[in-house]
Amino acid sequence: MDLSLYAREGEREFVELTRSFVRKSVQPLFGDNAPDGDLGMVPSILDTAFEVGLAASPHSGMPGFEYGIWGTSADNPEGVRLSAILLSVVAEACPGIAMNLHVQGLASRIITSSKGSFPEPPVRVATALQEGHTLPGFRAVLGQGRGSDDGIGTRALPTEKGWAITGTKSFVYSMEKADAFLVFCRIEGRSGKEDTGCLLVPADATGLKLQDIGGRTGIRACRLSHLILKDVEVSSECRFLPADDFPLMGQALCLHWLGISAMAAGNASGALKAAREYAATRYQGGAMIEEHPAVRKLLALSEARVEAAFALLVQTCSFAGGNTDFLRRCAIAKLMTTDWAFSAVTDALQVFGGYGYMEDYCMEKRLRDAIVLKSAAGSRNYLEAFISDAARGEI
Amino acid sequence: MRRENLDFQARVDALRPVNASKHLDFFGKLLMDNREMTIWEHDTRLLPAGARIWRRRAKDFARRYIRPDAARADSRPREYDPRPIISQAARKGFQTLLLALPLGTAFPGSYFLKSASFQVAVVAEEFAVESGGIALLLMAHHLGCAPLILSGHTPTILRHLLPLYARTLKGKPEIMAFAITEPGAGSDVEETEGGAKARLVTTARQVDGGFVINGRKCFISNGALADKVTLFAKLEGEGLESWTCFLIEKGMEGYSIGRQEHKLGQRASDASELILDDVRVPNRNVVGRLRSGWANNRNVLNYSRPVVGAMALGHARGAFESALKFCRNTMLGGKRLIDYQDIQIELADMIVKLWSARALIWHSCSQFRCYQSASAAAKVAASDISFEVCTKALEIMGDHGYLESSGAERLWRDSRLTQIYEGTNQINRLAVIEHQWVEITAGSDDRD
Ligand SMILES: Cc1cc2nc3c(=O)[nH]c(=O)nc-3n(C[C@H](O)[C@H](O)[C@H](O)COP(=O)(O)OP(=O)(O)OC[C@H]3O[C@@H](n4cnc5c(N)ncnc54)[C@H](O)[C@@H]3O)c2cc1C
Repeated sequence: MDLSLYAREGEREFVELTRSFVRKSVQPLFGDNAPDGDLGMVPSILDTAFEVGLAASPHSGMPGFEYGIWGTSADNPEGVRLSAILLSVVAEACPGIAMNLHVQGLASRIITSSKGSFPEPPVRVATALQEGHTLPGFRAVLGQGRGSDDGIGTRALPTEKGWAITGTKSFVYSMEKADAFLVFCRIEGRSGKEDTGCLLVPADATGLKLQDIGGRTGIRACRLSHLILKDVEVSSECRFLPADDFPLMGQALCLHWLGISAMAAGNASGALKAAREYAATRYQGGAMIEEHPAVRKLLALSEARVEAAFALLVQTCSFAGGNTDFLRRCAIAKLMTTDWAFSAVTDALQVFGGYGYMEDYCMEKRLRDAIVLKSAAGSRNYLEAFISDAARGEI
Repeated sequence: MRRENLDFQARVDALRPVNASKHLDFFGKLLMDNREMTIWEHDTRLLPAGARIWRRRAKDFARRYIRPDAARADSRPREYDPRPIISQAARKGFQTLLLALPLGTAFPGSYFLKSASFQVAVVAEEFAVESGGIALLLMAHHLGCAPLILSGHTPTILRHLLPLYARTLKGKPEIMAFAITEPGAGSDVEETEGGAKARLVTTARQVDGGFVINGRKCFISNGALADKVTLFAKLEGEGLESWTCFLIEKGMEGYSIGRQEHKLGQRASDASELILDDVRVPNRNVVGRLRSGWANNRNVLNYSRPVVGAMALGHARGAFESALKFCRNTMLGGKRLIDYQDIQIELADMIVKLWSARALIWHSCSQFRCYQSASAAAKVAASDISFEVCTKALEIMGDHGYLESSGAERLWRDSRLTQIYEGTNQINRLAVIEHQWVEITAGSDDRD
């Protein structure tokens, strides 16, 4: 009932390190009465994550450069699987903290795996993929977009020194003190794969504004904003190109979807463990409620879904590589695991009866986090269309 | 637009059933329902006159009074003062719907041909479209009044209910709550077999002129706010079969409010612990006969579950309406979201589910008496559908769905409670099947 069971010899120490980080740093977050914990503690928790090497960074001087979540060691299926496992362990305690580590690792991975000559990489980064209501479609991701309608409206105009970027990227998850953003945009005057660019924009660049998104239901420990770019000038060194043939946006989406799947599964596994414990102690109907078939059914279905999510996730990781097949598989993983995880959480909450609806046992928080993971970064309809396009493209 | 497109659009228009029906004969036209009206209006016209009037009034009230308060009551429940909206609802007759005119405000036709719950359920849906918390605030009052009526005890009705209704009709409402749940007995006070093994603490000891009650109740909706509570206690030395309903009044010595819960949704109404420490209750505050509490409680649940189902339906309808608006207003790839077939199918599925829930709810309170199996079935179906539809509504909006500004997010949180209270949906399923425990032959086709 734990994704860490999929960790191999040699990987266990990373799991233990992560567990210890969770115990010492993440769990104290939930000491007071606030429904999402004391969010004022998040910056120091993230500082610790950098210190212990759990947070990756594109900066080679940082401890997590190689073995942090989505660090450079995640360049093969084993490394990808290990990062997914670590992410799920953190998410079991708090998906919001996990989201911080995930988006940091994701942007780091794009930078370190691509051809780019940025002289002094930033320490904290995030990725800006989405615009408006949804992510770009399958063809746009592969650089086969249809122009204005494909979901990439942000434009980079060539200037003397580099590029001037204008547009709005929506729903960007990032650490509170991000130094820079990887912005995916259309490069004016280029065509085909060349026309989609990935540019590093420093957080303090003139013309860049972060717009607060307002109240939201879950994953509140991670900042969420829209990036508004108005003639933001960046130097020509700020552009990153894929090291191989597979577009950077495709790579980014693969890891993004896997990461969200891992967090959803971790959150669900935490909910299930809590429900099992509760069911063994709550007396009702003349017995501990774990004895009642109605409760056993809830727990069994929840467990089946968590296990199915783990299995699909691990299987998807085994296909890791820069190609459309992996991209399609990651979309499937996101579609199914977040759905299973959501059902597992709501069933686990039901085991608590009225107490599940109250803030005390954190089950309501798990439900709020689960719906965000389900809806974020590609809704069900978007993913279905994406998978269908990808499957047709393969034939 | 290109010429072929124009031609195509013209043909599509001509083929729309409403236009194509021009070619039918007079009687053919008469037999085809082409009225341009919303589903809401269609359904409203199905109702008997009295219920129809309340449905329209409730929608209007919800938009004018509940909508402006909804977000604030959710985000700052402790600062929200519910009294003004309760008074307003009382003045408009929404708080006295459990009795027919002239004693209450329900229309006699629908009251006697359907059940006392029917008009309340119709109103509950409309209120819940705007806010689960405010809907609960107003509906929990009916739940608190129900044992007074369903006790069937004329002195109770004359002494307590009629004066309360009279004051409410004059615009001085008294707020009621209903208290059965105890920390150690939640499902057990809602289910027959569990009841037989229940560990109850709230106990009434008979003394000269009345009873002394000790114990605790928890999760009571409007518990802190209520002026009066219909509260159930076992008699000293006996079990659940001795349950008796008492009318507890604010200010009685030894009666206090304990912990107030922090909950996921439906926040405008408090969920509170009631503490009874040697509370002396006079004989006149015994509701119905001694030991009639268990039967009364079970029947209250029969009458209230369709209303909970209707609230669930309201949350889902509200979330659906937000999603529909979003799909109409959001452009993707040069088209509105609603112009995509996959989105149309999702939205249609939601409509199908909402409609089936409404049909079952209206069916479940379509007889003078509410029937346990039908009431529990309506509550289970509507609340499961509600949470499913609310979740779909959020999903269809993608990242916008989980923002507080989406309109659907709050209702999604509100909706989840309907699968839990008035008995979890697991316990309600047991209530559905209870009638099948033994073979009943009346009305069966089985001739052996
Ligand atoms: C916000 C809110 C408002 C409420 N308002 C009121 C109110 O106004 N008045 C009032 O009296 N109560 C109220 N309640 C209480 C509500 O009705 C109970 O929470 C509900 O009946 C479940 O009881 P429980 O919470 O004790 O859960 P439990 O009974 O502890 O149930 C836990 C789990 O065990 C299962 N279970 C328990 N017993 C059995 C069994 N015998 N067989 C199979 N499965 C079983 C349940 O289905 C559930 O999944 C409210 C609750 C909430 C959350």
